[in-house]
Amino acid sequence: MAVAWIGNREALIEHAAAHAASLLSSSRCPVFSFDTDIDGTRAAIALAERAGAAYDHADGAALARETALFTDKGAMTVAPGETRRRADVVVIVGELPRIHHGLVGELAGTVPDLSTGNQRAFFVVGPNGMSMPPLNGGRKATQLSCGQASLAATLAALRAQYKGRRTSQPVSNFNDFAKALAAAHFPVFLFSGHAAEGLALEMLQGLIADLNRKSRASGLYLPASENGWGSALASAWMTGFPLRTGFARGLPEFDPWRCDVERMIAAGEADLHLRISAATAQLQKKRARMALIVLTKTEKPVAGAAVTMAIGEAGVDHDAVVYSSRTGSLRSIDAQADSQLPSAATIIRLIATHAFAEALPC
Amino acid sequence: MLTKIAGGDIIDPVNGRLDKGDLWIKDDKIVPAPAGGAADRTIEASGCIVMAGAIDIHSHIGGGNVNTARLLLPEQHAAHQLRPAMTPLSNAGWSTFQTGCLYAKMGFTTVVEPAMSPGAALHTHLELADIPIIDKATLAILGNDDFLLSMIRDDAPQTMIEDYVAWTVASTRALGVKVINAGAAAAFKENVRTFSLDDVVPSYGVSSRKIVKTLQAAVDNLGLPHPLHVHCNNLGSPGSADTAAATIAAADGLPLHLAHLQFYGYGTEGKRGFSSAAARLAELVNATPEVTIDIGQVMFGQTVTVSSDVMRQFSARGSAHPKKTVIHDGDGNGGGIVPYSYGKDFYGTMQWAIGLELFLLIDDPWRVFFTTDHPNGAPFTAYPALFELLMSREARTEMAAGLSRSALALSTLAAIDREYTFEEIAIMTRAAPAKLLGLTDRGHLGAGATADVAVYRRDRSIAKMLGEAAYVFKDGDLVVQDGEIIHYRWGKALRLKPPVDKAMVRRLEDYHQQRYGLSLDWFNFPDSAIAREQPFGEVPCRT
Ligand SMILES: [Zn+2]
Repeated sequence: MAVAWIGNREALIEHAAAHAASLLSSSRCPVFSFDTDIDGTRAAIALAERAGAAYDHADGAALARETALFTDKGAMTVAPGETRRRADVVVIVGELPRIHHGLVGELAGTVPDLSTGNQRAFFVVGPNGMSMPPLNGGRKATQLSCGQASLAATLAALRAQYKGRRTSQPVSNFNDFAKALAAAHFPVFLFSGHAAEGLALEMLQGLIADLNRKSRASGLYLPASENGWGSALASAWMTGFPLRTGFARGLPEFDPWRCDVERMIAAGEADLHLRISAATAQLQKKRARMALIVLTKTEKPVAGAAVTMAIGEAGVDHDAVVYSSRTGSLRSIDAQADSQLPSAATIIRLIATHAFAEALPC
Repeated sequence: MLTKIAGGDIIDPVNGRLDKGDLWIKDDKIVPAPAGGAADRTIEASGCIVMAGAIDIHSHIGGGNVNTARLLLPEQHAAHQLRPAMTPLSNAGWSTFQTGCLYAKMGFTTVVEPAMSPGAALHTHLELADIPIIDKATLAILGNDDFLLSMIRDDAPQTMIEDYVAWTVASTRALGVKVINAGAAAAFKENVRTFSLDDVVPSYGVSSRKIVKTLQAAVDNLGLPHPLHVHCNNLGSPGSADTAAATIAAADGLPLHLAHLQFYGYGTEGKRGFSSAAARLAELVNATPEVTIDIGQVMFGQTVTVSSDVMRQFSARGSAHPKKTVIHDGDGNGGGIVPYSYGKDFYGTMQWAIGLELFLLIDDPWRVFFTTDHPNGAPFTAYPALFELLMSREARTEMAAGLSRSALALSTLAAIDREYTFEEIAIMTRAAPAKLLGLTDRGHLGAGATADVAVYRRDRSIAKMLGEAAYVFKDGDLVVQDGEIIHYRWGKALRLKPPVDKAMVRRLEDYHQQRYGLSLDWFNFPDSAIAREQPFGEVPCRT
């Protein structure tokens, strides 16, 4: 089975790595985008330092909104385990990514054992007709909406009404919500940057802060991409900064606008794109003079790529450490079906050995 | 490889060696002078002092809360060292990579991360594994977790509680156990806002004191070398000296370590109701031989407070500078990140003076430990300046001249003449930490010891001398020369491996299935998950 290609031609893995390395060495403005496990992230960032590259998540926009909540405002958050055991009111804030629908179903199918009432009520904030994760046992969530108003505007209205202020458009079912909050011991708001804009995340934190003046409440952060958040964590410990950091001047510089890799490609700033993701995704329209190196789980070369190298999927083809929003931390997972496919980290390190004299620090 | 460190002033209190002479290293160990041996490498150390590598027992260098602080404060650590990278990622401010390099340059070779949340053990160890050069270790946090509190409430046998503590230490690869504001994080989830030693966690009816005493006994019975590491209640509040005094009294003959005592050295005198109780606490420590403490010295400037004392951090939100915080309710403790700037005003001066008073009024350097509770009192990069303050009365007087007079008037600092000697520094930062942590292979320069050695060239400036070591050896590798990293390597995380009771594992499996809907596998990890060769080094329990 072929695992490496230069252009459309099958190549030895060493030759492909050497070719990728030479492209990287001659690039003036390389950019990396990835969707990978912790080890892959570490190797990619270590290579980015050597190459002077900027790096970002493969689907960076939602992660950037989530990151900005932490870098700009801060937050009150709660662990998923505590949510399950303690949340007597669960509020779903906006559309949640599908990967978290299982957790929501589980919350609907259980009661909080550390809460005196052993009951759980569900609310959902968002415009009418918003798609909802299914709740178990035919349970229903009470909708809190201001018609078609945006999530941020609805949350602002909710916050204002909670403070007893007048609002131009009242939130539907507000009295039910107020009653539930008054009786609640630990309401938890489920949030994600998946569909919520930054202002909505900020407004939600304002509401949670208001609630905490007199009683308890918190937010359960459910990242748009678990790999994305895992990469943000590894990037923070390695460089001090989250993703959208670049090494153009040798030292890491965090700039969520300048190092937005999708923007850098679209604007023609990047002359090389290293894309690392086991999942085959729609590639952004390639610029004519940009070299593309793709590490993905594939049996054939990626169209337009100068180099394609096959990698395995974390936790499927090889053991891995990944972020799990079910535990709220990093988790070790075993390969489901150990295959011969190398990990992303292995291939990145191989490219590095061809490009640089010294081995990567990780 | 045989190395001779020639003609230095050797300061090795453990082996009673305080003379000018040679120190020999063979591979990774210190060896006696070989008969007629010719060194493969000679390090000229005349005009230098030679000590064992330093050990930091309490510095928040990695793990969930520390990393959240990085996320919260990109402006705090915007890299400022615009110089060519000598080592990988060495220009990354406040990164794991920089942490190892900066510690090594000061001659520190072992550092303990004192607040590992058991659920984030894998994350913590991955961060520590990316800290180069030095060895690391962790303390696992217990005392706000439902499993323990339920056992105490239900009068579970002490042996069962010990099985749980042993499992936690073994599965999280910890070197000891820490309790942080025992019971308060659990009580905070039930909307309790202040919590003291004899307050009870509502749903459990268990007092903070009971939690501390239960864990203290468990640690002792299990033979864990490091005594229970206690972060007391009421951190930072005026009058917290009473809480610290009560906790010291509660040691009751069994070993107990109190962390960052400076943050509890506060009385209620003066017109602001905030005064130094350092002299009183120092006297109590002096009179209580089973108690050890570290200081958590405050130094001036911008820093960030990172703590698993979530109740305290929540109440400190108003003082955040810049104005942003993270407050997390975790499975056990959770934590809070509150950036803070220590000014040279009344309060900042008071805290600074109280820390120094404690350092200088506690007589026995074997029982007082050198910390800033990094980054809570100050980043560890302030250590050289702090050494200077301890070793030079003149430096203290000079510094005090620019500080709040009304605060200094409420402290005894100006009246204290004591200056730490190099021998006392060697005890406080080498010999005593090794003893406290059960690390017999380090903290001294005797034959057979691990070759962790720091050589400092004498200088009129103590800060310069101790801030930039002339030479540092880690496991016999020469890693620092003239204050620069010259060799990159990877240390280990030191851990205990107490035997794990199978019945306890089954109990925990059931508990996790029932309460979290997850098997215990979700929280366990193999050593291979840490992508380094030999990520751990085992330290034996007391027998
Ligand atoms: Zn601390």
